[in-house]
This record gives sequence, C-alpha cells and structure tokens, in this order.
Amino acid sequence: MGNLKTGHLVEAGLWLLLALVLFIFSFEFNKPIEIYKFGASGWPRAIILMIVLAALGQLAWHWKRGEGGATSKLNAAADDSVEAPEDHSSLNWYAHTFAMVAIPFIYLRVPDFLGGMMGLPPDGLGTIKLLTAFPLMALFGWMAYRNQVGGMLALPIFFGALLEDMGFYALAPVFAMCVMYLMGERRIGWMAGVAAGVFGILLFMFVKLLYVGLPTGNIHPFYDFGTWIVTILQ
Amino acid sequence: MDAFTNFATGTVTLFSDPLGIALFFGGVIGGMLFGAIPGVSMLTLAAILLPFTAHLSAEHGIMLFSVIYCTGVYGGAITAILFNIPGAPENAPTAFDGYPMTLKGEAGKAVGAAVMCSAIGGTVSAILMMLATEPIAEWAISAFGPPEIFALVFFGLAVAASVGAKTLWKGWLSILAGLMIAVVGLDPVGGIERYDFEMPYLLAGIHFIPTILGFFAVSEIMVQAEKKATGAYKAPKISVDFPSFGELWAHKIAVLRSIIIGFFCGILPGIGATLAAFMGYNEAVRWSKERWEFGKGKLEGVISSETANNAATGAAMIPLLALGLPGGALTAMMVGVFQMHDMEPGPLVFINSADLVWVVFAAMFFANLSILFIGFLETKTIINLLRIPFQFLAPLILMLATVGAYAVRGLVIDVVVMFVAGVAGFFLRRTGYSVAGIVLGLILGKIGEQTFAQAMQMLHYEWTGYFSRPIGLSLLIAGLLTLGASAYRAFFAEPEPEGPPEDAKTT
Amino acid sequence: MKLMNYFAGAATAIAALAVAGGTAWAACATDDLPGKRDKAGDYPARALTMIVPYGPAGGSGQVAQAMAQAVSDLTGVSINRDHKPGGSGTVGMTSYMATPPDGYTVMEHIDDASSAHALDSTRPNPASDLIPLVTSQITFSQIYIRKNEDRFTDWKSFVTWVKAQDGKATIANVSKEGSMERVTMKFITDATGMKIQQISFDKGAPRYGALAGGQVDALFEQPGDVRKFLDAGRFKPILTILKERPAAFADVPSIKDEGMNFEPLFRFRGFYVKKGAPADRVEWLQWAFQKAFCTEGYQKYNESKFMNLIDSYRDTKGSQELITSTVAQYREVYKSMGLEVK
Repeated sequence: MGNLKTGHLVEAGLWLLLALVLFIFSFEFNKPIEIYKFGASGWPRAIILMIVLAALGQLAWHWKRGEGGATSKLNAAADDSVEAPEDHSSLNWYAHTFAMVAIPFIYLRVPDFLGGMMGLPPDGLGTIKLLTAFPLMALFGWMAYRNQVGGMLALPIFFGALLEDMGFYALAPVFAMCVMYLMGERRIGWMAGVAAGVFGILLFMFVKLLYVGLPTGNIHPFYDFGTWIVTILQ
Repeated sequence: MDAFTNFATGTVTLFSDPLGIALFFGGVIGGMLFGAIPGVSMLTLAAILLPFTAHLSAEHGIMLFSVIYCTGVYGGAITAILFNIPGAPENAPTAFDGYPMTLKGEAGKAVGAAVMCSAIGGTVSAILMMLATEPIAEWAISAFGPPEIFALVFFGLAVAASVGAKTLWKGWLSILAGLMIAVVGLDPVGGIERYDFEMPYLLAGIHFIPTILGFFAVSEIMVQAEKKATGAYKAPKISVDFPSFGELWAHKIAVLRSIIIGFFCGILPGIGATLAAFMGYNEAVRWSKERWEFGKGKLEGVISSETANNAATGAAMIPLLALGLPGGALTAMMVGVFQMHDMEPGPLVFINSADLVWVVFAAMFFANLSILFIGFLETKTIINLLRIPFQFLAPLILMLATVGAYAVRGLVIDVVVMFVAGVAGFFLRRTGYSVAGIVLGLILGKIGEQTFAQAMQMLHYEWTGYFSRPIGLSLLIAGLLTLGASAYRAFFAEPEPEGPPEDAKTT
Repeated sequence: MKLMNYFAGAATAIAALAVAGGTAWAACATDDLPGKRDKAGDYPARALTMIVPYGPAGGSGQVAQAMAQAVSDLTGVSINRDHKPGGSGTVGMTSYMATPPDGYTVMEHIDDASSAHALDSTRPNPASDLIPLVTSQITFSQIYIRKNEDRFTDWKSFVTWVKAQDGKATIANVSKEGSMERVTMKFITDATGMKIQQISFDKGAPRYGALAGGQVDALFEQPGDVRKFLDAGRFKPILTILKERPAAFADVPSIKDEGMNFEPLFRFRGFYVKKGAPADRVEWLQWAFQKAFCTEGYQKYNESKFMNLIDSYRDTKGSQELITSTVAQYREVYKSMGLEVK
C-alpha cells in the first residue's frame, strides 16, 4: 500500500466518481456540430479525462510520498487552507449540514414539478409555492436551531432560492436578522436596529440613488410589497 | 513631442468643465470605495453605472470608466488585505501575504504599501501605454489570432496550476474543476445546451463574478461564523502605521520587476491583470532568498502583486483600444460605453476618435496619481471597518454581495450560485484545494474552449499548423515546459531544502 | 396543405420587405396616431421595466436604450432597463414569462425568439404568447472582405478562389446552430456549390478583428454593425443577401444578381408585452412604442445603424405576420437540414 491512507483513496474515489457522473451526463449533449469536428462534448470530455489523470497522479504521488506537504515553497505560499474544528468534522455534522443545504433545492424544484403535473396557471403556481415555502422555513428553523454553523452555511442559499419569488425587499431584513442570530447575537434591539440600518443604507444607495432594479418578487403579496417600496423611493 | 501635445489636449478636455472634474473625483472615490467594501467590487459599480453613461457626453462617460478601472483595481487590494476577500481575481495574490499581515497587526503597513505600489505601477503603466498603444495596435491585430490566444491561455493555466495550490495535483484539479464549471451553459460553437439539468437559467452559464464573491466573500464569512460559534474568533488587530519610505525603497527591485511583468502580462487580452498578479507574486517568491517567509505576511508579497496588477491596467488598454479586445469584465463594459457613444474600439480608433483616446490616457494617468493622495486619506477611514463587531458586519457584506451578484446580469440564479460557491469554498478550504485556481479556470475556460475551437477550425484540425505561427508555437512550448518541469519536480526532486523544517506546515 | 398556406404567408410578408428607394421612410407610418394620449385609468402610475435578454453594449442593448429614451421623452414615463443576457435570449425570456402580466414589464427581443420557437415549440411563441408592441428594426446581411484584399475582389472571384482552396477558406460567423446566420450560409453554399469553413465567434468585436487582422478570409454580418469599418474603408461588402439592391449599396450584387434563388432571412428587433395584460394598458403601450418609433431621436438612431435601407417598421399585426412567417420558414429549413424539430 506504500504510504497511502484511507483518506487518499476516498479523495481519489470522489474525483473518479465525479468524472464518471459528468461523463454519463455528457451523452445528453453529445451532438455533432456541422462546422466543428469535436462537437459539443469534445472539450468537456477532454477535461474529464484530465481530471481522471490528475486524480490518479495525486494518488500515485501520495503512494510515493505519503502526506508529503506542499510540492514546493511556491505552492506552500499559495495555500490558504483552514483547519477544521473537531466538533464540525464528524460524519453526523456533515450529514445534518448537507440535509439543510438540500432544503432550498427542494423549494427550487418541487413546486414547479407539482405545478407542471397539475397544469396550473401562474397564479395557482404562486399558491403552491407559498404552501411549500412555509413548512420548509419551519423545518429549516428547527434544524438551524440545533446546528447553527450548518444553518449559517445553508441560510444564504435558502435566501437566494426564495429571492425570485418573494423579492429582495421583503426578505432582506428578515435575512439580516437571521444571520445575526446565527452568529451568536441575542440582543433583539441591536438586531432590529442593525437590520433596519443596513436595509435603509442599501435601499438609499442602490434603489434611490442608482435606480438598481432589485428583484421585486413575482408572487402576491410579495410582488405588491416590492413594487410599493420602489414606487415610494423613486 | 506629438504625444505630449495630445496628452496636454486630453488633460484640458478632462478638467475644463466642473462636471468633468466632479465626475473624475466621483469616479476616483467611487472606484476605491466599491473596490474596498467587501462584497461589492468596482464591477458592481460599473454595471450599475453603465446605463447612465448614455446620458453623459462621450468624453465624460469614457473618462469615468477609465478612472473607476484604475482606482477599483487598487481598491480590491484593501479587502484582500483586511478581510481575505479579494475584490477581483487580480487581487487574489495580494491576500496571500496581505491577510496574514492583518492578522499580525500590520494592516496599515500592507495597505500603505498597496497604495504606494498601485500608484507607481499604474502611473508608469499609463505612460508606457501612451507611447505604445498606437504602434502595437497594427502589429497585434495580425499577429494574435485565436491560435495564439489559445496558446496563451494554456500557458497561463499551466503556470497557475503548477504553483497555485498546496500541491501540483491539487492545483491542477482546482483548475480543471474551474474549466468544468465553465462548460455549463451553451457550447461556444453550436450553442448546444450542456449540463443545464433542465433549468433554463443555467443556460446563461456560471458567471465568474458571483463565483468570486461566493468563494472569497461568502466563504470567509462562514469561516468566521464557525470560529465565532466555536469560540476561536479573534478580532483583527487594527493599525494605521504606514510603511516608512526606507521599507519601500528596500523593495525597489521587486517593484521594477513587477512593473515589467505586469505590463507585459497586461497586454495579453482576456487574462492580463490576473496573470500579471500571479506572475508578479510567483517571480517575487522565485527570486527571494527567504522564500519560506512568503504566505505568512511578507511585505514584498503585497508589493509584488499590487504593483503588477496595477501595471497591467494601462497595458490592458492596448488590446482594448487597438483590437477591441477587452481584457476582463470591466474593460468589456468599457467597450459598451464606447459603443453607446458610437465609437468602436479597434484598429480604427486612432483614425476616428483620437481625441477621445487621449482623454482616456489622461484620465488614467491622473487617476493613478490621485490614488497616492486620496488613497491614504480614504484608507484611514476604511480601516476602521475592522472595528465593527463581525456579527453586524456579516449581514451587511452578505446583502451587498447579493446586490453585487444580482446587478451584473439581473439574474437571481447568480445569487444562488454565489451562495453555493460560498458553501463549496468553505469546505474546499479545509482540503488544500485552491479556490483562486477554480476561479481562474472558470474565467479562462470559456475563452480557452472558444479559441481552441476557432484555432482548430482555422488550422483544419492539424496541430502542425502551429509551426507556421511562431508566437503561438513558443507559447505552447512554454506551457508544456512549465507543466513538465513541475511534474518532474513533484515526483523526483527532493522538497526544497531552504527554510526551517516546520515551515512546511501551512499557515 | 397547411404548410402551403404558411408559405404563401411567408411570401407575402417578405414581398412587403421590398427595397426602399433612398430614404423614403421619412413619411412615418404612425403619423395617423395621436401625439398625446390619456393614461389608461391610473396606468402607468410608476416606471416601467424593460427586460433586455442581451447585454447593454450589443445591438439589442443599444436599440433598447434608444427606444426607452424615445418612449420616455414622448410620455414622461421612465423605463428602467433590466439586462438579463445568456443562452441566446432564452434566459431573459424565461425570466420575463415569470413576471406578473400587469403591463408594467415589457421586453425587447430579436428574431432568435422566433427561430427558438421554430426549433422547439415548447418555447414561447412571440406572436401568440406575447403581444408585439412594435418591430422597430429589420435588416439584412452582407458578406464582407478586407478592402485591401488582393486574392479576390468581388463575389465572383471570391467564389472561384474559395472553390480552389478545397474547403480551407474561412468565414467568420456567429456561434449558434440553426441561427439566421448559419441557415443563410447554408443557403449560399448550397446555391454556389462552394465549401467554406465557418468559424464561430459569439461576440462582435473579435469577429470583426478576425477579418481586419487577416485571421479569416471573409465575414458574415449586418451592415449597421460594421458601419465604422465600412466608413473607414477597412471592409467592403461583396454580396447583399436581398433579392434587390438597396440604394446605399447600389454597386454590391444581390443574391438574385448572382443567380441564387432563396428567400432571404432577416434580423429583426422589437418590443413585446406579455399576453394577459389588461387590454387598455396594452393599447396604451402600443400607442407609446409605435409613436416613439417616429420621433426624430429614434429615427436618427435607426439611420445611423443603416436601419432605413428597407422598411424597418411593423405594428402589432405586421409583427405577428412577420413572426409567423419567419417561424414557418425556419421550421421548413430545419426539417430539410435534418434537425430535430419539437
């Protein structure tokens, strides 16, 4: 086994698995292009092949050198890695955190899928989206309460996922408060004050002065709230 | 003499009316501010301002963007140093040594060096640009076709992959991951949909701005949040003691070297400033007698990278004005400003709009000079951002980043991509992979694939075609040599002997 | 049978694109519209948003800017432009289809929306899923070479030279299969029997740089986009892809002159509102956009982009006819090219 450790094998295995998945999906666009011999899949497949080679090269290098440190001082200087704390590297913690990260993606896919199945008009789709969003928010809150660092990782993605439908104007103050809570702040007055201040500065700078169209949201009543704020400011 | 007259005319146009002066200083301060506020960058400001330049005169609109460009590249260094959040990829190497300096309580020294070196690099580069643009224009347009640009991209990636991460392998895997992300969206030859997973918004591809914001700004906040939760958080020490003249004079060779590297890298369309900063930094390490000190807060690291990326700003104007080839996102927007005023950058620009070109040159020259004066004043204010408790700073940065990611293309998917990149960055940084490498792969991947396809179509799929294109051939060979040498070193050479042994550990 | 009807429609719509003599479009088609119009109830009570599915710098960004300005000047209602580039216009369209149909959000789009619908009918049809407010730019393509080129000088010598290169000659073109540009190139190569390597560039500047720098032998483009190069004497057109010669290019042969017999395809840009918006609001928008087309500022812009050489204006009904015939024409071509039409 040379100097290999289980971690090295897992790492190489993950890269090879990724390469395999990407290769399988590349058949979906494996179409010839009339004017280009390599087609749409030539370039990505070449990269996939190089990923395989580099992953195997890394494995061989670990086999010869063990952990080995950096390949050179130049490389060591470019390294910006961070040590993982003990209690946030257990399998349990990873599983819990990734479950939370998955919640926003449920929101992004499920209502559209349900709506498509029922052949709903946009108004009906909005209702389904609201009905999906609130239970997911409750679930998220409960999970984040038990795993605050995981919550901090997943919360912004959830915010991003809701943004198109609910709009920046309604979500941003709530988001700011949640971030402060997850970072350990508990003084309600401070939280409300900072959230209002931050929100106010952003609105003044971007909406009032620079006329940036931030997402207003697409479903009622969020759309109406967003456009109402924009109308007042502009 | 002729150049001097033109420069004088440009200067007069620039400062002859109050609106021009107001816009100039507005641009200087705005560029620095947006560059220096974590989460947004000069690109955010530029994207926001682009529609408004239609209401300005051509001189004013173009001048404003030139100014934002110069000062924004400098401003990006501030967040790189203070928060480990580079404002743009070209500021990434600045963070390698700048952020450790902040942790050591030497933030003022690092920022001061960045101010001085940005101003010097930028000013010298602006002068070279004035002299060189016109003659280079005609030569480059026929000498640099897609085969040469592809060879250049390959060379750039080979350099970055070999030295950009903890090991050669992690460097390559990071770059390859970036190249793979660049594949998402429409293919550059047939417009065929790739890896869109039935989500129409993914057809737009993954943009590098939200990715940079995610990898650097968002992931940094998450790392700090975790430290707060585990009680390991330490507030950064604040200092405003700028470096003495003697300290800077000691690095005069590094400054000179970085100006030369920066200028020549900057000429290359597409990757100029980023490559300049990485190369400037790498050369500093290579030439140093104390290599092991790099990455732990060495002033020379900040100096080399910041001089090089600002020296690239003037150089980047050469392909932009002479060929109409933008070097990055901001220069691409400048093409938009030019076009809005009915002026096409390209070989004809000196025939059709020579007066406007000289306004650009004058604006860039004075913007770089003003970094020196306004930079010092502004820095003293911005450094106080560090005094704000992090749990209050975090929501501000996250929301600014949201606006910044959204404003580039008006797509909510970019906000989601940014936050996903933030989480990915959080975990990748536990592993020794290089997020800067991923970003570089992402940026160069699109250009690389497109120019590769064009080169293959032009050369009728025969590599031997490169033998009749000496510039392209030399670049390809340089890339292959870089690759071969680093692979050889990784397997067969002993780890480098200099430095105390515990320095092999990471920072 | 139905297909024949479509073709008849296509033929009439294209016949209407007859070449104008000089700049006779000054007599604006919307002069019978009133110069002022009351609001529809309290609409518009706030600024409108215009989604532009391309970047601010390109042809679409510029026409959106010019039209928004003209509408604002005419009505006093400001229009915020929201650029959502990507996926050849797909992304902007998707985003627009998700907005509420209240008449406050309008969209700019080009003929790519029609060809996308022709290839995949699940994509929105601009003629029926949207209401065209106005089509304000319609233009044709040309083939360009360098002015100082000495290997060939006109279309005939170009074709002879290309044939002698045995498929190694190159022409710069856009990078999308099934696009107006690619389909037209297929028409031309089929008609002349020449083999030429198309090289794809998705952005304008590198495409023009490739011709100017000698990286390619020819360029396929619309005249408004390369006007600077024409005015400076760097490029010259050798073929106009129209059946007749417009006056501004009187010495450049048309496809008919060179014995090619196909229906030319056009690049067109227009403005839309989502179907389902209240009827009185749609009427107000139609008035505002059609009237704005005739303002001096907009006309001057169109002229600077060579958009006055053929009739560049269609009202709602005219736009619907143009789109429907274009979709039918593309669908036919795609089938004959062996592309999978959904």
